Amino acid sequence: MTAFLAKIAEFFGSRPGKTAAPPRAFRDYYRNFRTLLTANNNALELMAELEEAAVSGRPFGVAFIRGHCTALIVNVYKMVSNLRELSAGKYQNLQPAFLAVTRKIEELLAKQPAVPQGEYILPLSRVDRHAADLVGEKMANLGEIRNRVGLPVPEGFVITAAATHRFMAGSALRDEINRRLKTLDADNLEELYQASAAIQQKISSAPLPEEIACRIREHYQTLNGALVAMRSSAIGEDRDNVTFAGQYRTQLNVSEEFLEQTYKEIVASKYKSQAIVYRLQRGFRHQDVVMCVGCLAMVDAVVSGVSYSRSPSDPRSNWLEINAAAGLANTVVDGTAATDHYRVSRQDPHPILDATIARQKGTEATGQRGSLSAAQCADLARIALRLESHFGSPQDIEWSIDRAGRIVILQSRPLARETALSGPEAPGQPGEGELCAGGVTASRGAAAGQVRIVRSSLDLLRFPQGAVLVVAHPLPEWATLLPRAAAVLSETGQIAAHLATVAREFGIPAIFGLEGITRNLADGQEITVDATACRIHAGKNEELLRQAATDRPNLMLGSPVAKLLRQLMELITPLNLTNPASPYFQASACRTLHDLTRFCHEKAVVEMFSFGEKHGRKDKAAKQLVGETPYTWWVINLDDGFRETFSAKERFIPIDQIVSLPMLAIWEGMNAMPWAGPPPVSLRGFGSILFHSTMNPSIDPAVRSSMNARNYFLISKNFCNLSVRLGYHFALVEANLGEYLLENYVSFQFKGGAADETRRLLRVELITGILREFGFRVEQRMDAMSARIEKRPVPYLSARLKILGYLLIHTRQIDMVMGEEEMAARYREKIMGDLQTLLQKSEKEGDGGERHQDTAC
Amino acid sequence: MESAIRILLVDDELDFVETTAKRLSRRGHACKTALTCAEGLPVLESGWPQVVVLDVMLPDRDGLEFLKEIKEKWPSLPVILLTGHASVQAGLHSLQCGAADYCLKPIDLETLVEKIAIAHRENLARQA
Repeated sequence: MTAFLAKIAEFFGSRPGKTAAPPRAFRDYYRNFRTLLTANNNALELMAELEEAAVSGRPFGVAFIRGHCTALIVNVYKMVSNLRELSAGKYQNLQPAFLAVTRKIEELLAKQPAVPQGEYILPLSRVDRHAADLVGEKMANLGEIRNRVGLPVPEGFVITAAATHRFMAGSALRDEINRRLKTLDADNLEELYQASAAIQQKISSAPLPEEIACRIREHYQTLNGALVAMRSSAIGEDRDNVTFAGQYRTQLNVSEEFLEQTYKEIVASKYKSQAIVYRLQRGFRHQDVVMCVGCLAMVDAVVSGVSYSRSPSDPRSNWLEINAAAGLANTVVDGTAATDHYRVSRQDPHPILDATIARQKGTEATGQRGSLSAAQCADLARIALRLESHFGSPQDIEWSIDRAGRIVILQSRPLARETALSGPEAPGQPGEGELCAGGVTASRGAAAGQVRIVRSSLDLLRFPQGAVLVVAHPLPEWATLLPRAAAVLSETGQIAAHLATVAREFGIPAIFGLEGITRNLADGQEITVDATACRIHAGKNEELLRQAATDRPNLMLGSPVAKLLRQLMELITPLNLTNPASPYFQASACRTLHDLTRFCHEKAVVEMFSFGEKHGRKDKAAKQLVGETPYTWWVINLDDGFRETFSAKERFIPIDQIVSLPMLAIWEGMNAMPWAGPPPVSLRGFGSILFHSTMNPSIDPAVRSSMNARNYFLISKNFCNLSVRLGYHFALVEANLGEYLLENYVSFQFKGGAADETRRLLRVELITGILREFGFRVEQRMDAMSARIEKRPVPYLSARLKILGYLLIHTRQIDMVMGEEEMAARYREKIMGDLQTLLQKSEKEGDGGERHQDTAC
Repeated sequence: MESAIRILLVDDELDFVETTAKRLSRRGHACKTALTCAEGLPVLESGWPQVVVLDVMLPDRDGLEFLKEIKEKWPSLPVILLTGHASVQAGLHSLQCGAADYCLKPIDLETLVEKIAIAHRENLARQA
């Protein structure tokens, strides 16, 4: 990369400056200027999109970030090189500043997680929490439980991240996978499944390096030929409130000859479709997750289950919750088994407070209800509390009880925080308008949508955005659909199922345990799911939806991708160069891409502005506008802003000789409405304010020195840059209204002085509010604001320019009378009224398409 | 709107090339396509295209190398780079080699049409 950047630097240095080149036509300069403005337009839009992504919580991947950064840098580069042409290479420090920012952005984008270092295999006896970077969170916790807490776990070993890294790097798998994923459109389910299947197939069929294979065999010997469970233990998994629940493969009962193949398949399961979707939703890059695999001797389980050391619905609860079923634990978490639910006191001797039994299995003689005895419940409670106290937070624990009656811990992880749930309720019979009542709340909330019953992967491909997912079992693979589902209903399953965990994480309402629901509902039927109350209503129940309305959780928060974006944003959006008159407004002071765009834009305008002066070109010098207006306006023609019949030698120009679309629109807005507010401040008083400001350019520093105290229009047929200095205000309107949306925009900057701070803020807030209403993107910083709209058709932008013209004239006067909020509200009303009239008027006069455009904003 | 522009699309993604060409033609532009640089070269040599849209990764050659060759032989011919693999380096490099623009897929057709039209307009203005 260094070599490459050196090449760019060379490029900047090697091109001859303007001094050596032959004189160029003014039109060439204007073309550079126009290209620079379009690049500016693109750059600012891209920055706004990045900012939006950073705050919205909508999922985005690295591809989005990389694409936006690349496009941004390309556009800023265009600005830098066009300014260079325009200014005859004047700003020597611009290129180094650009290169410095670009280099930092490149470095952040190229940064890879550290390569895992260590042994390929670690026996569980040598694993504890500190080994998480090598064996994954799941196995690190299990080792911790075995070696530090001293509770029974299955014997076994972990195939580490170092092994996976060796495997993936060795067969060039990684590059090929990255290539495939980089261009993947994860919203296209068919493409997603194809890519997912192809990648998994590639990994599963790649040869395993012998040094790993022989070490696996070696360690397997220590287990005395037992069958093993092979479990994924991904690095990056099980971090704070990010569950990755049920995404990866777990294979039970693996015998020696299948160890290698199963290992590869589990590594490949990182690319299961639901895992790809999950990572995108939660802001993980694929390289942020490295798969490790635990090989654990199978437990001959009589009963298995999941314990929560606190109630997920109430973190201060004085009971814990246990879900249990006969056999292996996987039936509980993949949602296929009907389970018994126990609520057990956290206080010694841990009595059962409540039990919901799926099927009566115990006998009267033992007093056992369901799959667990009271003593077993108490033992499980003690274990849960021990683990909670050791790990320092409520735990979600998977366990089995073997034939010897021993409780073996299979997994323990922090209880997901957003599992706001109540236990199973007894909703009774469906009420009026209700289709169904029952089941358990797997994830709270209410949502409406059309029913879509999904039985096969073919159904899955056709699943429409915003439908209610209805399934027989809450299988983990249905999680692929969660981002597009409104709600989930399932015949079986309970709150410990992986799908329920992910639904809670994503904030998608879900009811499980609804017997017969796949038969009772029909595809396309519109329903409202009230998951909190376990009820299903016919049609769309607005009342219910309103009550249940909550914001979707910001799933990206704190994720690696969000973190990357935040770091990049530091190099992109902060604006340090705010004041062109400041001695710090210099190329060498540009720290961010925004600074660079600001600097290039400012200097380009100045270059265009001073061209006539500099080159002694009368035709490019300012003409004074003649017309009925109390202020003096100057106009500089950049290209084709005047009528062809107008003689360039004239010193005055009447408005009817001007053909600049944007200027005429602003002018119309300025002159459309007489000032009809309260008694105007006396002309003399007003004059004195004007006088003050012209005598005191230092009062408001945001003004170009050479344009000081004059009002200038720089125009061409499609372009206008207006700098206004009236009273103590400084305002800048710039617009391009042309054939191509890519080139079109309106931008407005406003800064006002000459009043106490409260007034200044009120005024800026007033303008901000109005402009937002008309679709501007507005940024306000103290008493300065900037507003912008880009890539819209001419009539739409033309209407916005009229609004700005109006505001320029009228808010200036408001300033003198407006003192308090109440007044501000009154003026706002009056202004909005005026603006509506103004827009309607111009519609009638035949600005075609305006009405349509306006309703769109 | 603008008059018809003669566009050469060089891209190995058959689906993309076909639909884009079809939609450009529907807008009144003339479009020829090539799946490789080798296929594109004779079209260039015939002097037919007014704007070239070029993929960065092509099966037979590096698109950037091809860009250099085009700019050497036909310096005034506007070339728009279009790629699915965003890269800052490739972006800056192609602009330095004289590309009119460097765009990322997926690109909205409307935007591509405008980029082509603007590149063409700038080129005409330069010649004038």
